[in-house]
Amino acid sequence: MKYLDCFRFLAARRTDELVVTSAGNSGQAWWAATRDSERSFYLDASMSLSTMFASGLAAALPQKRVWAFMGDGAFCMNPGMLMVERQMNLPNLVHLLVSNRAYGATSNAPLPNVEANDYVAIARGCGLSRAHKFASVAELERGFDAAVEKGHSFVVLEVEPFSAEEQKLEQPPFDGPEMKYRFARALERDTGVSVIGYRL
Amino acid sequence: MDQASGAVKRTEVARRIADELAGCGVKLVASLPDNWISELLVHLEGDQRFRHVPVNREESAIGLCAGAYMAGLGSAAVMGASGFMTCIYAITKINYSYEIPLLLVMTLRGAFGDHHKHHISNGLYLQPVLQAIDLPYVIVSRAEELGEIGRAYKHSRTFARPTAVLLTRELLR
Repeated sequence: MKYLDCFRFLAARRTDELVVTSAGNSGQAWWAATRDSERSFYLDASMSLSTMFASGLAAALPQKRVWAFMGDGAFCMNPGMLMVERQMNLPNLVHLLVSNRAYGATSNAPLPNVEANDYVAIARGCGLSRAHKFASVAELERGFDAAVEKGHSFVVLEVEPFSAEEQKLEQPPFDGPEMKYRFARALERDTGVSVIGYRL
Repeated sequence: MDQASGAVKRTEVARRIADELAGCGVKLVASLPDNWISELLVHLEGDQRFRHVPVNREESAIGLCAGAYMAGLGSAAVMGASGFMTCIYAITKINYSYEIPLLLVMTLRGAFGDHHKHHISNGLYLQPVLQAIDLPYVIVSRAEELGEIGRAYKHSRTFARPTAVLLTRELLR
């Protein structure tokens, strides 16, 4: 499916979930689909750590659902993260693996072993029973809600790599500290937690 | 020091480190092992004040603690010196770019008293690397100095970046 069509579908399905994007195209696509600047954390240049970051959020806020995007390029760098996720077994965490079969942020450079990688099988091999794959918007419409309804879920989204035109999509336009404060202040307002340590 | 009294001392030091962490509000500890902190990790695993998360690599600890901070949960990353040396990208990209505090507790491998030759690299480069990335740290060699853990934690919040406590062989043996 088209990368942006997938993200527009997810943006429409989102209710109050916190969202973490990964380095590369997922931040561009989520920004294009939502323009959300408070309840999404654009974790640029995180190289495989977006779901660990999201696990920290989810552990701290069991009452909030957390979606974390990760490209399959990042996934290849640190697949052992699934062992940590399984061990933590956070019922409010959804790991969304965006499988474009390329290093999308670096001009779609080739990914190792790209034809054979079976991400759902890897996840199941780590003990994640709620592992699903969607290759079209029609499949998402039929099965996405059930896939993420409850429990720690691992969802593979098979998408086409960004086209040359899509690569020009705007990056989320935040300096790091602005991202931190926008997200933290919104979370403080929504949940009452203290993040920064002082209130305005 | 004989074996029995050494074991008692290590257990007591582990308990005091845990008390210091709990005292500054740490509730989640992400760790990877180092022989010098074996007793500490056993203690953390059984200490109900913490959610102890053994991770697959040290960078995962950096990501996990950053997320915990962003939701108001006190955390610390505990690791060996070698593990820290694999984390420079994660720390500088996540903690420095977004100004996210982090308390690192790690071993001072490769210093005087470490007889393992494979830690020569840490002896040569651990502290120069910390200095090169402007990461404030304190070396703790005696149990009486363990209050530095709380001070380092608080300073990381003021400084809005990571701070580190380096534990020596003298403290941990």
